[in-house]
Amino acid sequence: MSAVKRAQQWATFARTWHIFDCKWQDPYESANVIKKYLMGLHKPIYHPMNDCGDVVVCINSREIALRGDEWRQRAYFHHTGYPGGATWTLAWELHNKDPTMIIKKAVYRAMKGNLQRRHTMERLFIYPGEVIPEEVKQNITNQIRQIRLVPTRLDHIPEEEVQKYPKVMDYPEDYVLK
Amino acid sequence: MSLLWKSAPILKNLVKYVPAATRVQKIHRWVAPTLMELKRREDKLGGKITNPRNTFLEWNLEAELFAFGKRLNEEFDSDLLLQAFTDRSYVIKEEMKQKEIEFNIKMKDNKELAEEGEKFIEQYIQVYLETVLPKFPLEGISGIKAHLTCEETLANISLHLGTKDIILASEYPVDNYILAKTFKAIVGALLRSAGEERAAHFVRDFVITQLQGKDINEYWKIEDPWIMLVDILEKDGIKIEPRLIGEVGKNTLLACYRVGLYVDKKLFSSGFGETVSSAKEVAALEALKKIFGTEDSMAPINFKLQGIQKTVSKQHKQISAS
Amino acid sequence: MSNSNLFLKSGFVRAPLQNGVGRYVCQLQRIVLKFCKSHGGSRGLRDFIEQDLVDFASNNPGVVVYLKPRRHRSPVVVAEYLNGDRVWMNMHNKTHSEITKWIEVLRTQQGDIASTRLRKYQYTDYPSVQGPWTPFTFKDPKLNVAELPNEEFGANNRLPMSATEQLRIMFEKQTLDVKPQEE
Repeated sequence: MSAVKRAQQWATFARTWHIFDCKWQDPYESANVIKKYLMGLHKPIYHPMNDCGDVVVCINSREIALRGDEWRQRAYFHHTGYPGGATWTLAWELHNKDPTMIIKKAVYRAMKGNLQRRHTMERLFIYPGEVIPEEVKQNITNQIRQIRLVPTRLDHIPEEEVQKYPKVMDYPEDYVLK
Repeated sequence: MSLLWKSAPILKNLVKYVPAATRVQKIHRWVAPTLMELKRREDKLGGKITNPRNTFLEWNLEAELFAFGKRLNEEFDSDLLLQAFTDRSYVIKEEMKQKEIEFNIKMKDNKELAEEGEKFIEQYIQVYLETVLPKFPLEGISGIKAHLTCEETLANISLHLGTKDIILASEYPVDNYILAKTFKAIVGALLRSAGEERAAHFVRDFVITQLQGKDINEYWKIEDPWIMLVDILEKDGIKIEPRLIGEVGKNTLLACYRVGLYVDKKLFSSGFGETVSSAKEVAALEALKKIFGTEDSMAPINFKLQGIQKTVSKQHKQISAS
Repeated sequence: MSNSNLFLKSGFVRAPLQNGVGRYVCQLQRIVLKFCKSHGGSRGLRDFIEQDLVDFASNNPGVVVYLKPRRHRSPVVVAEYLNGDRVWMNMHNKTHSEITKWIEVLRTQQGDIASTRLRKYQYTDYPSVQGPWTPFTFKDPKLNVAELPNEEFGANNRLPMSATEQLRIMFEKQTLDVKPQEE
């Protein structure tokens, strides 16, 4: 094979490192998106025997938002294998112990239950906050878009925008707010 | 597993006639052990014996030679064709046999025909490639020519034209060198019997068409593509700028960099690589391909040019003087 | 999936030696007809030889025809091809017309295709015209210089317009309408 053809193949099967900000996102919805990138379903060269999955780095996994009452009601089951080793851990308890576990379990559940799953999960890196090791940060070249809108806090909107925004009415200067 | 292959003819007798759509392979349990035993006995006696076709009862050399010419849609002079198929080793063997019987018939061998044919093939391929690839430099063309006229290629062509059974040689099966030589001798014989134009069309239809579907740039290994590119563009006074336009997985083993070459701030070509320098070299190779007109998206080589083209080698650049 | 039928050789759809690109060469090299002069099973083959063989030979001068009359042997046709394949076909009790058709099949095939399993039904030397896909093909070049994670690339850009934004646009349109009238 000539040098150009080898380089072409190297490029086609190159593994991209994506980053996903989990802040205020539903882990189960995001898991559906993340699993596509991990398995390589977003590539036209996908084949289950191809090992064409990309790496996904999830940050801010501590800030995920489960829906409704799930923090209190969702329970994660674990059995050690020994008699009497069954534990049911609630979502908030699990999150306190290890903030990366919920999103990890969500992605594991979203994938197909075949023998490739354990290997593909190795490509997922989850960090509870914004801090990422330098080597990992340098590899990242693409960002996956979030699914849910992250609303901006009212006091985080810049001053000029607040001034520019059209007002229907304004309180008179000597009005006293109670 | 190869044993089971050979059992296929036996199986055809065993399997009852069933429509092809519903046929199921029924192999009796004694078939495999029998074949294994036969193979063991064969190997003990020194391997499988294949007889050359011309020792069969149904063989007529004259008819085979006539059919050979007609199959290729060419008119050969029958003596020349027979001479083209006779190898030197065969002539030596015949002379030794005839010495014992004191019987003297002179058989000509194909040495001169082979030399003539070889010279004609080389010349014609050079002329044809120069016409069909006008911007490709002479070193590249000689690289392609070396591939097309190498022993392997010519032996493959001659095998698929059916010369393997007709060749008169001392040993069977015939080796690549004799097959290639016979092919050249056939071209020589055609040159003498039918003229230059017909021989040219023959070489074009059987030798040059082997380039179909192949990447021509593979036959010319360029050592320093970046330096060559800069030299070529300097002569026209064009400046080229390499820039890193993409990278993936910088700290990993599977890192991939994309380097683009810009001329006047416009993208000329781009290349990928494991390191930035190798990506630059590949980008330079792509740019060279674009300049020489041999990219992946080039129009396919025209295999239908008639007659013998006149050389316009002044247009062709020679990259290195040495 | 797996090569479960181990008896068949497998191959791709190819023409030997780029056959049609230059001139077309008939791939049948020689054909051997073995028949019995008296037995009933060779009747069809005998009829073929008497009536159609000479036309066949004159129409295909590139094919060498051998005849082998053998007593008490069943009629057989052996075709040999330029790529070395030998196709053995039993013509016992076949009619003249059937034999003509089979001979036509043997003449026009390029080897023993019945014993070759096609791995794929298509073949191309140029699978891609615009160039193969790479992760860089549809990538936004702005990502090269962006500091990831970045809000611009991370936020969802397919959400419907929010009420705040709609109001602001309505207001701006209204002001544009107002201003010219004032002037």
